[in-house]
Amino acid sequence: MIDLEQDLSTESTEQAKPASSKPWQRWSPAGRVVAYAVVLALLGLLAWGLMKVRAGPLQSGLAPDFTLTGFDGRSVTLSELRGQVVVINFWASWCPPCREEAAYLEQTWRKYQDKGVVFIGVDYVDTEKEALAYIDEFDITYLNGPDVATRISQAYNIQGVPETFFVAKNGELRGAHIGPLYPPQLDEKIEELLAEPYQGIGE
Amino acid sequence: MIADIGLISLSIAFLFSVYATLASFYGGWRDRAEWTESARNASILVFPLLSISVLAVIYSLYVMDFSLAYVADVSSRAMSPFLRLTALWGGQQGSVLFWAWIMAGFMMIVLLRKWDRDRDLMPYVIGVAMLTTAFFIGVTVFITNPFGRLWHFPGANELTTAVFQPAGAMPYVPQDGQGLNPLLRHFGMIGHPPTTYLGFTGFVIPYAFAMAALITGKSREDGWIRTTRRWTLVAWIFLTIGLILGGRWAYDVLGWGGYWGWDPVENAMFLPWLTGTAFLHSVMMTEKRGMLKKWNMILIILTYALTVFGTFITRTGVISSVHAFAKSALGPAFLIFIGLTFLGSLSLLFSRWDTLKSEHQLESFFSREAVFVLQNLLFLAITFAVFWGTVFPLISELVTGTKITVGPPYFEKVTGPLFFVLVLLMGVAPLFAWRKQAARNLGRAMLVPFLASLGITAAWGYTHRMHPGSIFGLWLVSFVLLAIATEFWKGLRARMSGRSENPLTALAKLIGRNHRRYGGYVIHLGVVMMVLGVIGDAYFKQETQASLAPGETLRLGVYTLRYDGLRDYPGSDGREVVEASTALFKDGEFIRQLKPRRDFFVVQEQPVTVPAVYSTPGADVYVLLVGWEEGQHDLTTFKMYLNPLINWVWTGGLAMILGTLIAAWPASRKHVEASYVIKPGRLQPQPGIGD
Repeated sequence: MIDLEQDLSTESTEQAKPASSKPWQRWSPAGRVVAYAVVLALLGLLAWGLMKVRAGPLQSGLAPDFTLTGFDGRSVTLSELRGQVVVINFWASWCPPCREEAAYLEQTWRKYQDKGVVFIGVDYVDTEKEALAYIDEFDITYLNGPDVATRISQAYNIQGVPETFFVAKNGELRGAHIGPLYPPQLDEKIEELLAEPYQGIGE
Repeated sequence: MIADIGLISLSIAFLFSVYATLASFYGGWRDRAEWTESARNASILVFPLLSISVLAVIYSLYVMDFSLAYVADVSSRAMSPFLRLTALWGGQQGSVLFWAWIMAGFMMIVLLRKWDRDRDLMPYVIGVAMLTTAFFIGVTVFITNPFGRLWHFPGANELTTAVFQPAGAMPYVPQDGQGLNPLLRHFGMIGHPPTTYLGFTGFVIPYAFAMAALITGKSREDGWIRTTRRWTLVAWIFLTIGLILGGRWAYDVLGWGGYWGWDPVENAMFLPWLTGTAFLHSVMMTEKRGMLKKWNMILIILTYALTVFGTFITRTGVISSVHAFAKSALGPAFLIFIGLTFLGSLSLLFSRWDTLKSEHQLESFFSREAVFVLQNLLFLAITFAVFWGTVFPLISELVTGTKITVGPPYFEKVTGPLFFVLVLLMGVAPLFAWRKQAARNLGRAMLVPFLASLGITAAWGYTHRMHPGSIFGLWLVSFVLLAIATEFWKGLRARMSGRSENPLTALAKLIGRNHRRYGGYVIHLGVVMMVLGVIGDAYFKQETQASLAPGETLRLGVYTLRYDGLRDYPGSDGREVVEASTALFKDGEFIRQLKPRRDFFVVQEQPVTVPAVYSTPGADVYVLLVGWEEGQHDLTTFKMYLNPLINWVWTGGLAMILGTLIAAWPASRKHVEASYVIKPGRLQPQPGIGD
């Protein structure tokens, strides 16, 4: 005779055990402690997540530096781009809203590429095969590379994709845009940043 | 003026709900019936009061009172009156009010109907449910007030939203509103949000009864389960409808040819559905055999906790999602509420653990009881897998510092086999007898469906050898379908030979006499249809893409699409429409015109892709207008999908609704008791069965 009902006492920690013939009269104290611990850990996790979300993406201050190696082998380091306006776009091939802005981004890049503007595409949590298909589909020519170990997206505390950060000539962040960009948002922002004066500081 | 009335009414509702919570707990604690009575009266009044507030918001939306920040945010002059009304739940403020309103409505019905039946439980039912209601009304009043107005400080660049005039600010009334998010301007907006809310809030009733049973120690008896049985069904079916409408909406609007993407927001709704479904099944065991009482408590607590959890992650954006939900200030308040709910339920459960003993023991692993336990385990395993995948990005970021998002492949791989076994169980469970099942009888009962399904599968497999996975899937579908059909056939045959009724009368009477059982079978048939749709999506979906000049064609399967031309025109709701004319041919024969569109909402600067769909029971042809060369309309890009069997997903949903209606239909008590309670033979009479 197997007393399954009693044995289900281990269930709510979500780890099913096969029925054993040992009848349990009550939750062992250890079982209860585990249940409370799991619930508290979950609450802690949510609180931590909430704090991060409320902090929002970085909007100002010196843009965190990074080096990105592109799918094509080219690489770029943000701190070496002083004097140029930098647009950093976080995207992924699995993200439908990213598709909304992809053509506009590429078009704007072609318009400004000779005017002191650099575009960097950071591919967030993706597979190379699909990312390359995406780049191919939209005929994207600016540098795009994978965000290895999500280091860059964490430094910028992104909330999701697509998200775009604007870096002024002096290397400072000048705002972030959550969600897809539509004409003429990107042009306006770039014109605004290009208009800023900049004296190269000899290093 | 109207908005002021709404605000006052909302504030009074808040006070009443707080009073009802306190008075009912006090009444229960001190055993003072007059306090409970008073709490009941206050609770009943909350719904009419909130109705006034809801009507005030609807009125303000209708007349476009843009002095209200909410109205200016979600409506605009270009929107049709109908869309302006749906804007009630189109934004944070309105939807939280709407949520509280539905919850209060449920509570009012409970208090008007079930007042005399569960007198001992009532104080705490009111207390728990009104505490929740008070929380949501409180959030509406203090954090996301839909009656907040727009104010302008001289010299400031931005407007301020506040309920009362801040010192030094001037009232500001914009000429026009922002308008609803274009993706929400869709027929689905009528159905998906309200049904989802009805489903989510509906579970508060069984939860409140369960908590009351634990507080009073009445958890030993199963009265709360019988009282809330129909409530659970109501909440469950609304949740089901909400999920299906959400999928349909995504299919029609989001333009990626699918209906389910394992996005956190979708999972948030799926999780309580999973545990809620397990709960619905598990309570049957308690009703019939007095077993699985601990399971029921755990499942209803989990279900309720998951609805709150789901609301939390969708409203705060803690887990990033492709769904655009406004991030709001209600995070901290919500976190405290979740904490209290989780810890309170858990400690109550532990304190009454010993009252939840089973009345019988499992006699054999080869019995319907064992099958029920197995299905509970499977539901929990799926729940855990989905939950883990949903919170994993957060966990991985905390532990390793790297955010790892698990995509659809994880969910499909992990839950796929579990769902396979679960659906199989759905087919064989009715063939198992209670208590103990002789293997030989079981084998005999399964023989015909099993052999027949093998035959169907072999024929299918011969023609579709390139998709081995689909062969398993089809076997499953045909076997379960035949097993359920056999159940119907057995009942019919007995009636037709025993009472010489004609088949239709026999079917109607069979279902009428035992509506819960056969309603359940109809729901199961709906699930089988959905599985068929999922198999089509998983194995037979085809897609292609091409840029076409007018006159050129694109081929997919037996279908050919010819591009005829592009035109643009101003549409309703402030949008500019670019529409492609295409002609669809099947095997060279013209079928119909298809007009995929791209709507551009000027004010929001947001495009929405509207697919053109040619739908048949066998497959959908789904065409998207992806892009075109600016200026010259020569080269236009299309994406074309062939989605076989997808309509079975929606048909299955309808069958599930029909089955639930049958199962929940009030029947004469005599019939229910006679057909439902099993006679336990040599066992002792069971307490708690039959009122």
